[in-house]
Amino acid sequence: MSLASVLSSTSNRIMSEPLLSVADIHAGYEEGIDILQGLSLTVAAGSLTVVVGPNGAGKSTLLKTIFGFLPGHRGEIRFRGRRIDALRPPAIKALGIGYVPQEINVFPFLTVEENLLMGGWMLRRDRTRLAAAIEHAYETFPMLAQRRREPAGALSGGQGRMLGLAREMMSAPTLMLVDEPTAGLAPNLVAEVYALLQKARRHVGAAVLLVDQNVEDAIGQADYVYLVNLGRIKAAGLATEFPVQRVTSLIRECLVG
Amino acid sequence: MKRLGQANGLKAMMVAVLAAGIILLPPALAGDFALHVLTTSCYYTVLAASWNLLAGFTGQFSLAHQAFAAIGAYTSGLLIHYFGLPIWAGIGCGVTCAALFGLGLGRIVLAMRAIYLAIATWAFAETVHILLTAAYPITRGELGLSVPPLFHNLNPAAYYYLFSGLAVTCVLTMYALVRSPLGLFMRAIRDDELRAACLGIPTTRVKILVFTLSSAFAGLAGAFYAHYVVVLSPQLADFSEMAKLIIMVVLGGLGSVSGPLIGAAPVQVLTTYLQQYGEWDMVVFALVVIAIMRTRAAGVSGLIVAIAVRVRRQRETGAPMADA
Repeated sequence: MSLASVLSSTSNRIMSEPLLSVADIHAGYEEGIDILQGLSLTVAAGSLTVVVGPNGAGKSTLLKTIFGFLPGHRGEIRFRGRRIDALRPPAIKALGIGYVPQEINVFPFLTVEENLLMGGWMLRRDRTRLAAAIEHAYETFPMLAQRRREPAGALSGGQGRMLGLAREMMSAPTLMLVDEPTAGLAPNLVAEVYALLQKARRHVGAAVLLVDQNVEDAIGQADYVYLVNLGRIKAAGLATEFPVQRVTSLIRECLVG
Repeated sequence: MKRLGQANGLKAMMVAVLAAGIILLPPALAGDFALHVLTTSCYYTVLAASWNLLAGFTGQFSLAHQAFAAIGAYTSGLLIHYFGLPIWAGIGCGVTCAALFGLGLGRIVLAMRAIYLAIATWAFAETVHILLTAAYPITRGELGLSVPPLFHNLNPAAYYYLFSGLAVTCVLTMYALVRSPLGLFMRAIRDDELRAACLGIPTTRVKILVFTLSSAFAGLAGAFYAHYVVVLSPQLADFSEMAKLIIMVVLGGLGSVSGPLIGAAPVQVLTTYLQQYGEWDMVVFALVVIAIMRTRAAGVSGLIVAIAVRVRRQRETGAPMADA
């Protein structure tokens, strides 16, 4: 397939029906200081879209705003055509959006299985579906089945990420917001974590909006790339249009100004 | 989550028989006063266990638990005193009223973080205490409000059995709650509320639900207690009652179902018999609580678990002290 045809088919998909669309969003932690200053982007169903940019560009803030932790005061966010920018996190989760925050995000004092059950909050009234979701998670990650009775705090860093992703799969989201999945991990684990992410994603058929400092590896995984600086999109396009040198020079531009 | 195997089932039965023995024997052996102390111990067991639900399992350190007991007691007492309700209806209203106050207060304070929650609930409890004292035309304040007894013959053994039955029922209900999915979400909120929120769990709603349930249990205990002590005083809502509950739970084991069961009765028995030496018992208990908090020990129940694990490990390896 030629680059042009890939480009047109991808852009067609994005044009016709984006799963998520963020339009001109403004949001911040303090009144009068906006971290996101009119940011717009779209995520196509089933795609892996990565957001890169220098520190403080607003990447994590973007995910928090989409998940409803931080209310935007201008612009709109739509998921499957429906406005979600006024909803609280539980309602957003119920629509099929999952959020995997930075760092290891397991509950260390709960067992591995209890951690998985936590991800099944939405299924809590449906025991058969809950059991099936747990079996599915164990099939995908057999290591978790072996250690199901151990406290999650006993897992290693990479296993912790695995559990975090498996727990997110429990509710079978259509969109996963993933923040810095490789931050603070040993370099030899980075490839493993991306493999886990892809595996988790394929098993539930979810689209992923990935925020990452690990630019080179992340773009290697992605279909579509957004480069954010100072709360706005600076560049966007197919992952193939972002070779390493171009990204490095773009980020340098952002930092130097 | 532990599945009950056959061995565990046998163990559970042994524990049940032992517990039944401990509960059923005292009326045959103890005098009336000792039986009275044990009956009040049952009241404190329900209070301590329901506060543990909130503080130990959900991480919400409310300081208003004694006030909910007082609300349960006074609601029942006042309704019966002024409107001549039957006792059982009075108790039902007491529980409902405590639950509603819990729901209302919970909605206001549970979005707050730790220290603010403690201060706000303490202020609420003091308000209840002062209201009960100051509204003496209605509540008779420190003079005491007379309420009818549950049993007309004032038989200590009957009260003892009723209260131990109440305590067992309440604690078993709370055990089921902690083991349910709700219990899992409670513990997750205690461990890390933000992480729980990231999973789409409506953390504030779960906290309000637990606060309401815990207040209802306190109201239930208070309402029953009212018709045992027969004269109600605002002392029920005094902060020293809350302090006693904290001591019971921390000593027994915060965040463990068995903690309040282990802590409540001994503390109540000791405070009663040490009363002849003035308030010194509270000083001793306070020091013990500080020591437990300082060493992050898990109370007596944690100690028992640690010993059990050690014994089991030695049995499995067959080599005593191999890992020491």
